[in-house]
Amino acid sequence: MRMPSRQTPTRIRRFGPCGFSIALACLVGCSGTIGDKIVGGGSSGSGTGTGTGGTGTGTGGGPMLCTDQMVHAGRAPLRRLTRFEYNNTVRDVFGDTTNPAIAFPAEELGNGFGNDADALSVSSLLAEEYGSVAAGIAARATAPAQLAKLAPCATTVTAATEDACTRTIVESLVPTLWRRPIVEAETLDLIKLEQSMRPLVGATFPTSIAAVIEAVLQSPDFLYRIEWGVADVAQPSLKRVSGYEMATRLSYLFWGTTPDSTLLTAAKNGDLGTSQGVLARATQMLDDPRSHAVVRFFFDNLLPISGLTDLERDKMLFPTYTAQIGSYMHDETQRFLEYEIFEGPGTWPDAMTAAYTFVNGPLATFYGMTGVTGTTFVKVPVDATKRLGFLTQAGVMAGTTHSNTTNPVTRGSFVVQRLMCNTIPLPTGDILAMVKPPDPYSAPTARERYTLHKQQAVCATCHSQMDPVGFTLENFDPMGFWRTQENNVTIDASGSIPLTGQMVSGPVDLVQKLAAADATQFCFAKHWLDFGYGRTTGTGDECATAAVDIAFQRSGFNVKQMLLALTQTDEFLYYPGSP
Amino acid sequence: MSKFRLNRRAVLRGAGSIAIALPWLEIMEPERPAYGAVTPAQRFVGVFTPGGTVRAKYTPTGTETAPVLSPILSPLEPVKSNILIIDGLDMKSAVGEQHQAGIIALLTGTTQNNPPANGGLPGMNSYSKGPSVDQVIATRISAGKKAHASLQFAIRWATGKAHGLLSPINSLNFEDNAMFSPIPPRLDPVQIFTDLFGTLMPTPGSNAAALVARKKSILDYVDRHFATLSPRLGMADRLKIEQHLAKIREIEQSLTVVGNPTSTCKAPTQVDTSDYNPRTGLMSADDGSVLDTQTDAAIPKVGKYMMDMMIMSLACDMTAVTTLQWTDTEAKHTFPWIPLPQHHHFYQHDGGFQPVQCQQIYTWYSQQHLYLLQQMAAVDMGGHSLLDESVVFFGSELQEPPTHIKTNMPFMLAGGGGGLRTGRWVKYASLPHNNLLVSILNLFGDTRTTFGEAQYCTGPLTNIV
Repeated sequence: MRMPSRQTPTRIRRFGPCGFSIALACLVGCSGTIGDKIVGGGSSGSGTGTGTGGTGTGTGGGPMLCTDQMVHAGRAPLRRLTRFEYNNTVRDVFGDTTNPAIAFPAEELGNGFGNDADALSVSSLLAEEYGSVAAGIAARATAPAQLAKLAPCATTVTAATEDACTRTIVESLVPTLWRRPIVEAETLDLIKLEQSMRPLVGATFPTSIAAVIEAVLQSPDFLYRIEWGVADVAQPSLKRVSGYEMATRLSYLFWGTTPDSTLLTAAKNGDLGTSQGVLARATQMLDDPRSHAVVRFFFDNLLPISGLTDLERDKMLFPTYTAQIGSYMHDETQRFLEYEIFEGPGTWPDAMTAAYTFVNGPLATFYGMTGVTGTTFVKVPVDATKRLGFLTQAGVMAGTTHSNTTNPVTRGSFVVQRLMCNTIPLPTGDILAMVKPPDPYSAPTARERYTLHKQQAVCATCHSQMDPVGFTLENFDPMGFWRTQENNVTIDASGSIPLTGQMVSGPVDLVQKLAAADATQFCFAKHWLDFGYGRTTGTGDECATAAVDIAFQRSGFNVKQMLLALTQTDEFLYYPGSP
Repeated sequence: MSKFRLNRRAVLRGAGSIAIALPWLEIMEPERPAYGAVTPAQRFVGVFTPGGTVRAKYTPTGTETAPVLSPILSPLEPVKSNILIIDGLDMKSAVGEQHQAGIIALLTGTTQNNPPANGGLPGMNSYSKGPSVDQVIATRISAGKKAHASLQFAIRWATGKAHGLLSPINSLNFEDNAMFSPIPPRLDPVQIFTDLFGTLMPTPGSNAAALVARKKSILDYVDRHFATLSPRLGMADRLKIEQHLAKIREIEQSLTVVGNPTSTCKAPTQVDTSDYNPRTGLMSADDGSVLDTQTDAAIPKVGKYMMDMMIMSLACDMTAVTTLQWTDTEAKHTFPWIPLPQHHHFYQHDGGFQPVQCQQIYTWYSQQHLYLLQQMAAVDMGGHSLLDESVVFFGSELQEPPTHIKTNMPFMLAGGGGGLRTGRWVKYASLPHNNLLVSILNLFGDTRTTFGEAQYCTGPLTNIV
């Protein structure tokens, strides 16, 4: 019998002293290391179970509090549609492809994906733009050429049929926008709104229906993903996520948009009421090409590549570079990851070490490759002595570089913080006052330019965790081109991964060792937990984290299996609180 | 800009300050009520520029009442009598990440919250611990009285680590509510013009009253749905919905505020900004590697247009509180018109501190401040100028780029609101800048004696009014 957990389980010490859950301890010194032990390795968590489950003991099979027969539903703060989700939703409901949500102010940074429910707030500007954008969508949806799509009756409406036609439109449109059936009182309320528009100067049926659409699009039922949960049939003391709520969770997780009619039907039929039902549906959804857009969005936010489409470079230094090339480099990384995950071996270690990439004609020419023409991307092998996986792709290397010279700190920081989830605090004003940033023209190679970071203890504390990683990528110039020399001096691309203490001989060795480190895998899963659950996960999410990590590990770190595991945690299936 | 009516000050300035014939003064005299200590300031304008200054080229010489402007401030010579240069204030409350803590403390006087990644609790924001002073002023004199409680404008914003999201590194304004939420600024000049001035030029044939009635009905429906939902939610969710509802009610309120068109209130001349991508910063990279020099080249034009629209929003009494952000703290855009091909942060320290180029940038900002103040002085608000009734604050998130030091901040006030005594250069002995924030509040009739975190405030500054 599983019981609701009434309070946050005791923190599980999953990583070493510098793991993300206890990052505070490392704020001062930058001296911690990240352990690669996790589930199945005798975690050292201990503590008292809560509820009626009594006291638990560690079993060595994962954080012990997660095997205490209790449901750890976590937190489920109210989520709001992001600009990405809003655009997708109106595209799918109205066929509106104008991406109107770009007019909304940017979301708060939060978990780095712009969907952190705890961080989002509503400004006056956002509230205004919800109105303006809704007005635009409604006007386009009620334009003469579109009107019949809302309902055939709209084109032939008379005073006598106006109420009935409004009802037809409301009953077909609103459930797709609110992601649930609507009740008669809600229908009548909207018909009343339409009626109130008729006396206004210049009002027509389309403008009155437009007002209804505007109201529906500004309602909390549309903008927010409101969940109430339902009593679990098997265990009435628990609350499950209801069928329609589950359809919504799945749809925004895998497709980034509102549930389609098939999914709403599944919700209606009760197909989403069990973990098996959810898994079956999630598997179908992940296999549907619609899932690719979400994965793409995820990587655009995780990797430093979204800016490549606007990247400009010095024409003197890189005469063959154009903005179009930057855009293609972005596509290369995205196409590679899409293929790797959905058609290739699909493991995160393989995405880091695969010996192929995708190029089209212009990109191949830019890279100095022959045999590829046209703008269609084709799979090509890479020189495995120089490049492997996404990290060494030109776009990622260019995306982590200043315009004129490479910066090993930026590249190292990206690897350590973003790919290994080890937070390195920025220097405080006091430390900054003591050190001078290196002159980019002071020495021929980056290693020499950044020697002060090694010599000065105050810098070395943190930079010893970033620079040695960045040095191993120095064979890639600011554009991502391979080089063996910088300013006629041979580049020494050796370095180390401070978090694992491993020595590294160069870029290929780096990605292979990163790919072999569990910390890299669990960091990737942590980003998906944050993005998928729309929060910054951490304390209180140990059980969901462990469940996803275990599934990820058992699948050989298969990305799709990990994504499916996101749907099988208590946090995804249950709703916090009692009925 | 010929669209503004000349007022007395503008005439004085244009004609030279001495040789004015008596009849002119007689005509002007009744138009100018005494905006002195007895009248609280009516408008607040905050202007943010990134990266502090080059101290050695910024500090004036001379005396308090006869300052000699430095090279960086020299463009402000024509409005010297309208500015108050304030030196010797330390931003002691700027505790946190080097740039973030600076911009967060600038108007809030609070230290930065830990972000969750640095050990903060999930659900805690990583921004300020209190409201920004502009929002407190808005609560006092603008909210519920004007169509907009406040308006925030930004030019070439979110250029750096923000990744297109609202980040502590580029947030200047924080709500005066329980959550102190960061406020996203308005970025798109086309959208701003439509939102603020579109109704001043209604499309032919449209019925303004019917449009307002329509909007009211829709918002009434939306309002009811939020209000019904709110009490059913848990505390944290309820706060969010209540915040949203408060913003909806703000819009509803604005529909009931009847504009009071005057000869000074009219839509600014529209400017073609098709060469300016207001969201280009939103595709930015951590390190400034993403450059959009076409948009950068349009910054001077767009900057002036934004200032015109900001001034008109005040002249039209749409709001009493505005702020203008010249980019964000990282300032990773270029200055093709100076011309400086690298981004600002590069000259600050990414490429090693380059004081000559930095001085060029800060001097250019002074030229923009001159434009702002002259245009405000040229708006007649009924016998006195917009500048006369305003307090304008100029500030940055740090003193000087290479060290990110936050002592002896380069602050400046301008305008005549609340009896502010300008035309001076005042120096304090390492007082916390929170003291200036509380003094600004005092100029608006708020009589509190402390603002921000109390340990960083020792009371209002003397020698301001």
